[in-house]
Amino acid sequence: MVVAVWSGKLIMLEKTKNIAKQILEEKKANGVLGLMKNQRDIVQPHVFKRLPELDALVLEPKWLLAKLSMSILRSSPEGYRLAVLCRGCDERALIELTKRNQIEKENLLTIGIACSQEQAAICLCDRPYPAKVDAGEIASGVDPFQDERVREFLIGNDKKRMEKWANVLKRCIKCYGCRNSCPICVCEPCKLEDDVWVQRGDVPAEMATFHLIRAFHLSDTCVACGACQEACPVNIPLLYLQLSMRKTLKEKYGYEAGLDPEKKSPILSDFLKEPETGREYPEWINSLREKDGH
Amino acid sequence: MNQPRILIFACKWCGLIGADAAGKKRASLPARFRVIPVECAALVEPDAILRALAGGIDGVAVLGCHSGGCRYNNANHASIKRFELLKDLLDTTGIGGERLLLSFGTAHEYHQFEEIIENFFNELAALPPLDPWLSPFGVVS
Amino acid sequence: MANITVFLCRCFGEIDNAIDFDLLRKELSKDTSVSSVSIVDSLCLEADIEKAASQIKETKADRVLIAACPTLSRGNLPVDGLIKEGIERHKIDLVDIREGCAWIHGNDPEGAVKKAKDLINMGLAALQHKEASKDMRVSVHPDALIIGAGPAGLAAATSLAKTGFKVNILERASAPGGMLRLISQLYPTGEDAADKLNPYIDEVENNHLITFYPQSKISSIEGCIGNFTVQFSSQGEDNSIQSGIIIIATGAKIFFPTGLYRYGEIRNVITQMEIERQFLKGSFDAKKPVFIQCAGARDKERPYCSTICCPASLKNAMRLAGENPGSEVFILHRGIMTPGNVLEKYYRDALSMGIQFICFEEEKPPMIMGNDRVEHVEVYDAVNGITRKIETDLVVLSTPLVPNDDSVRLAQMLGIEVDRYGFFSESYPMHPLETKMDGVFICGSARWPVASDQAILQGRAAAMKAVSYLRQREIAASTLSRVPGPKSGHARVVPDSCTGCGNCVAACPFEACHLEKLEDRHISKVDMMRCKACGNCVSVCPNGSMQIPEHNYRMVGEMIKRAF
Repeated sequence: MVVAVWSGKLIMLEKTKNIAKQILEEKKANGVLGLMKNQRDIVQPHVFKRLPELDALVLEPKWLLAKLSMSILRSSPEGYRLAVLCRGCDERALIELTKRNQIEKENLLTIGIACSQEQAAICLCDRPYPAKVDAGEIASGVDPFQDERVREFLIGNDKKRMEKWANVLKRCIKCYGCRNSCPICVCEPCKLEDDVWVQRGDVPAEMATFHLIRAFHLSDTCVACGACQEACPVNIPLLYLQLSMRKTLKEKYGYEAGLDPEKKSPILSDFLKEPETGREYPEWINSLREKDGH
Repeated sequence: MNQPRILIFACKWCGLIGADAAGKKRASLPARFRVIPVECAALVEPDAILRALAGGIDGVAVLGCHSGGCRYNNANHASIKRFELLKDLLDTTGIGGERLLLSFGTAHEYHQFEEIIENFFNELAALPPLDPWLSPFGVVS
Repeated sequence: MANITVFLCRCFGEIDNAIDFDLLRKELSKDTSVSSVSIVDSLCLEADIEKAASQIKETKADRVLIAACPTLSRGNLPVDGLIKEGIERHKIDLVDIREGCAWIHGNDPEGAVKKAKDLINMGLAALQHKEASKDMRVSVHPDALIIGAGPAGLAAATSLAKTGFKVNILERASAPGGMLRLISQLYPTGEDAADKLNPYIDEVENNHLITFYPQSKISSIEGCIGNFTVQFSSQGEDNSIQSGIIIIATGAKIFFPTGLYRYGEIRNVITQMEIERQFLKGSFDAKKPVFIQCAGARDKERPYCSTICCPASLKNAMRLAGENPGSEVFILHRGIMTPGNVLEKYYRDALSMGIQFICFEEEKPPMIMGNDRVEHVEVYDAVNGITRKIETDLVVLSTPLVPNDDSVRLAQMLGIEVDRYGFFSESYPMHPLETKMDGVFICGSARWPVASDQAILQGRAAAMKAVSYLRQREIAASTLSRVPGPKSGHARVVPDSCTGCGNCVAACPFEACHLEKLEDRHISKVDMMRCKACGNCVSVCPNGSMQIPEHNYRMVGEMIKRAF
């Protein structure tokens, strides 16, 4: 069994290397961004430009390259094309960045890699594969709402949950790691550094502003990659904050961030017209219409 | 008994008229609400609501115009989806989406304004206090 | 440091019992941003305003806070008065301490005075952060452009020409008249359509202020109110004109009911338009005509009522009955739509002429029987609950008006909206005939199916609305508001921090934002002529790069912090 997993991973790696090789040989891109294991066995992102370098290409661990691709493309001369090895979340992040005009899609090529089932379970990922899978077997998605750890934070008595969240968020040392690691956060300056919204200098951060403003800003763009959570030095489960907003968008508006490059976020449009016209007000809007019967 | 405090963002063209009319009629409401007039409900940033909750305000009401009655080409309806997601976020964290009240077109008359705000006061009073979120004890530089 | 003068109005002592003014003054004088506090008896009389203005000038205050009654009462008077005295709008703030404090919390003076203090504090915060929006002016090209030369377009053109403006009319067909040229008589008067149309056509031909471009096709429209540039071809020749306003009177087209009621398959099943064409040639011989209403209307695909088909059927049924004595005329309908006293009488006239009405249901439409030509119609009479077999020699289908094929294209060019069927839609309930693009008006059946008399009225109305803009030499963006008074401001982009994400572009209900490509990134730009300062862009901007200076985030944030 172990051998089978290993050989599967090897096949996937070889396949990826071949695709990268082909891209470089055919000059479809000026470089391939992926992970490289150097002589001291340290893995780091690297732009592969020459074929011999590709021997050092590795696929593990999960490392989001979207934001790095953006910086590389931005600082490169015009016409520079970059191929990026990306997982599902990474590809969705790239699409979101393209939608927000941070990357020009003509300059970007993706090599899609499907995540393993274990990785999907670690990330609680409901879509552990890119839209275009070039290497790897598609693993089935995990429903985060079925996970006991998640349910603890999302379901149950309000008062207890409020305390639970407060206790977790109190650990924040305000390192801004969640924001910096997020593949979508690109604003400069950022609202989290503005006194009007978040009191500067306060540690732990003001909870209802720092964390919730950050979470809300990603409501319709979060691709659930979990980078914020992985970056957090005090283990705040930041991904859980996004889950119910993502669920609402998916269930009520048929929208998932990073899937369709042409589809605009539903929160930018008129409620009564999008996604279809003639919609009724949602129940929670306090309107006396029903009570008055007109 | 809780003494909840409310911040109201009232659209100038309906909610604010209701608030004025309630005053003219000498409606009796607790003096624990403040009104910030806005040009349109669309102008109310969700961040501002979080800002208010973080500052110890127990509930925020956004009063806008009826469907088709918006002076700004239904800009008010664009805010519905934003607030829907914000409510989700507030529910997630246990703060409670009920702390955000969105009402369209139903506050342009004094009795409606009075009823809506009074109900909101009662609802907020029944919610657990926001205290755990407000005292981030620890180092303040 | 801010230097704010505060006026506290007692309303002649009306609110003294709830609000302790001396306490307020004491608290306020502690605030370092306040330079002086005056308690006055009233602020809404002319003398008060003058006095206040001179006091402001004397103390050299740069901002003014008025705590009095709200705008909806008399609070607007001191504000407007001080603006007249030369103080800028964004340097004045009005706080409501009467309705919002003293009156509503009259039984809780302690709470009321606390609230007044907080509200004044919020006002002080607002004043310190309020900024003024920029404005822009566009000089107005005095010509008008009308698209479509049907009754609505012609009425608009002649009205504008009568008021002395030069008018250009673009028409797809080779002659003016639109759908009226296809019709013989008008309901309910029985007037000849030509009689109604000819004066307009004469005017178009003879009035030197009107230029008619036949067979024209628009390729692009650019610009904003005051100065639109339209590229088009007329009779194969490319051309370009400028205009201050555009009136859309493109009308609608007739729905062809192919496949419905065996239309196109069997002879003697025709549409209203075909019978009109016959009438134009002369009389029409049919002994037992049957009219079927709502053919292709009020169904799933087109749930709307086209409004003109019922009266049109009545007209033609009565004409057939009159011209062919002894004939038996049936109208099969799903409810006759004849609103108003004139049309209702028209319906009664038809009844008294012996025209028979049978109501059918949508689920059980009449059946056309016959092989080569229609022989009889089978219909389930929904009122009497029986199926009837009507012998007939002619079936006339009443079909609805549907939008023109290129209405969506035209709407996109102008940045205006069409409704779910494709008719041009007004964006405001309070602004009939206006669209979300200022200076673009819609009238006639392009907007919604109407009869010619209403199309003419709408055309005239649109013309009069247009005149109010055309007569101005210059238009300031700030005056193009949809609310009483000027706009509250204009959205402003901070170009350095704008990430170019395009949220504002997608969210703007007036299509006022667009992205501009810089060397290495995109930034948003606001078209002030289109911006109405609703603030939707502000709410979707991820990092506050979009602001309305009069209501910026610093001001709101500070107000929230001081609210309690």
